[in-house]
Amino acid sequence: MTATSVSPPSSAASGPVKLRVDRLVLYTVLVVITGLFLGPFGWLVVSGLKTQAELASSPVRWLPETFQWHNFTDAFTQIDFLGYARNSLIIALIYAVLVTLSSAWVGFGFARLDAPGKKTLFGILLGSMMLPQLITLLPTYLIFAKLGMVDTYWPWVLWGLSSAPYLVFLFRQFFAGLPRELEEAAIVDGCGYTRMFWRIFLPQSWPVVSASFVIAFTWTWGDYIAPQLLLSSDRSTLAVAVMSAYNTPAGQPVPELQAAASVMYVVPILLIFLIAQRGFVAGMSTSGLK
Amino acid sequence: MTTEQITSVAGRPEALAAREPVRVVNRPRTSMTARRQRAFYMFTAPWIIGFLLLTIAPMAYALWLSFTTFDGLSPHWRYVGLDNYRELFSDPVTWDALGRAGLFAVTSVPLSIIAGLALAVLVNRPLKARGLFRTLLYLPAVVPPVGAGLAFKQLFDQNSGATNGVLNLFGIDALGWLNDPYARYVLLMTVLWTAGNIMIISLAGLQDVPRELHEAARVDGASAWRTFRSITVPLLSPVLLFQTVTGVIASVQTIMPLLLAPDGTTAGVTLVPQSNYLYMMHVFAQYFAIGRYGYASALLWVLFVLILVATGLIFRFTSGVVFYNVDPEAKK
Repeated sequence: MTATSVSPPSSAASGPVKLRVDRLVLYTVLVVITGLFLGPFGWLVVSGLKTQAELASSPVRWLPETFQWHNFTDAFTQIDFLGYARNSLIIALIYAVLVTLSSAWVGFGFARLDAPGKKTLFGILLGSMMLPQLITLLPTYLIFAKLGMVDTYWPWVLWGLSSAPYLVFLFRQFFAGLPRELEEAAIVDGCGYTRMFWRIFLPQSWPVVSASFVIAFTWTWGDYIAPQLLLSSDRSTLAVAVMSAYNTPAGQPVPELQAAASVMYVVPILLIFLIAQRGFVAGMSTSGLK
Repeated sequence: MTTEQITSVAGRPEALAAREPVRVVNRPRTSMTARRQRAFYMFTAPWIIGFLLLTIAPMAYALWLSFTTFDGLSPHWRYVGLDNYRELFSDPVTWDALGRAGLFAVTSVPLSIIAGLALAVLVNRPLKARGLFRTLLYLPAVVPPVGAGLAFKQLFDQNSGATNGVLNLFGIDALGWLNDPYARYVLLMTVLWTAGNIMIISLAGLQDVPRELHEAARVDGASAWRTFRSITVPLLSPVLLFQTVTGVIASVQTIMPLLLAPDGTTAGVTLVPQSNYLYMMHVFAQYFAIGRYGYASALLWVLFVLILVATGLIFRFTSGVVFYNVDPEAKK
């Protein structure tokens, strides 16, 4: 995001007054839209600070009488919040590390090596980006259940090892752009392709590595349906717990704790995004412009 | 597409040979090629194997199941040929769910593309705090679906939701937003909320539009709308096509109706209100609430084929309209 590259003010021929009105309208529109976009999440935060009675009252109570900060600590104790967060973290790390390495590996193959059938394979790879993932997940779930892999983290290991077409594509674009001399020097030194990949190409690609890692991590942290299907309740992830674990013993949902917990579930992802923005956006826009 | 830019095997050894006036031996060249070929398969093997085992095999398994009465429990399941397909096509629930999914796709995809494009044009203008606006508008697209679902459930809650609060200020009675018939609008709004995604991708495209084109248009006295329609949109058309295809696929697969329902688990799919009972929810109900894996697999395969056909049709109908900027100079 290029906040710095503000272009010089155009020498307005239509007069400064009209220009200023235009600007005012523009900024008003932008501020209103931005407010609408932030509204749903802002309301979630406010809801997490209310009492249960305030959340049930009709007409709406806009703000809580006193901020119920204890909702956020209660959300930790009502369920094993940290336990679920740890499960989410483990799964996301397993997948992000493995899929980044495997996608770099496959991307290197497509960028730097050649063999009969390469064009066809690359076409299939691009096409498979458009395959509906949820549709393939359902029968995959039945197979994993048959193989006894339900309630283990093995599915994420396998998914990680098998690389992701979208990330392969990002790596392939990057590796294809590196100078040929890199490869030639390595070959002259008697370096095999495996060593060439680990020693020369992978270290060069750290911007893609970090983008890929962040993208894969946030995917997995945000994924709901796979852990909901594959993991039992106490091995499951935070996404699943936030959705369905905040209940009274009688099975009634506890909305204020659920709101507080979902804020705490979302905030780490927002922080990661704000820190890693550049790579994230670079990855996003490359995908759109292939 | 930069496929042509990849180092080709044929080109390399010759280039090397050309530099050396005397070619001594021929042998290293062939062994080199063989080595490269073996290495190619070694490097692409994880994806090839993974694709076969984790995509092709499950889909083949689902195809086989779709011809059976398999339910995961009864050992007496059997092969029934096309019975499941016959049943699903004669079931009005299938057609209703399919119709709703189609309606959702043809409304949510164009609307979110228009919204994303409008936002992109808006924040592509010279502004103060432009980066901040872009970041804030994009932020909802990063929020995981569960967070989005719960946020919208709170926002549109009949009693405590802010939406009914605002309506109340105008003297309008509280609406049951999360129930029929309004739930579909909430679903649509969850999609529009993430239009920042399309905004960012379109922005990258907008910045690639050569400045000279805009200047030429201004010199010719073209209006802003005309410039947008005749320059910006054609140059963005590959991006828009990509967004249309991925948008349709995403809309068909969305689990948001489930997350907006009272109970967000797959078993609670029966509580999804009618107006949000899209095709995928029908599949979920057959899979997880009823457990008819055979029948559900048939439903799944029908959807899969429909997506392939829809994607093919989109590419077909846009092939003449989409403008690929191949001039390397224009990229600068």
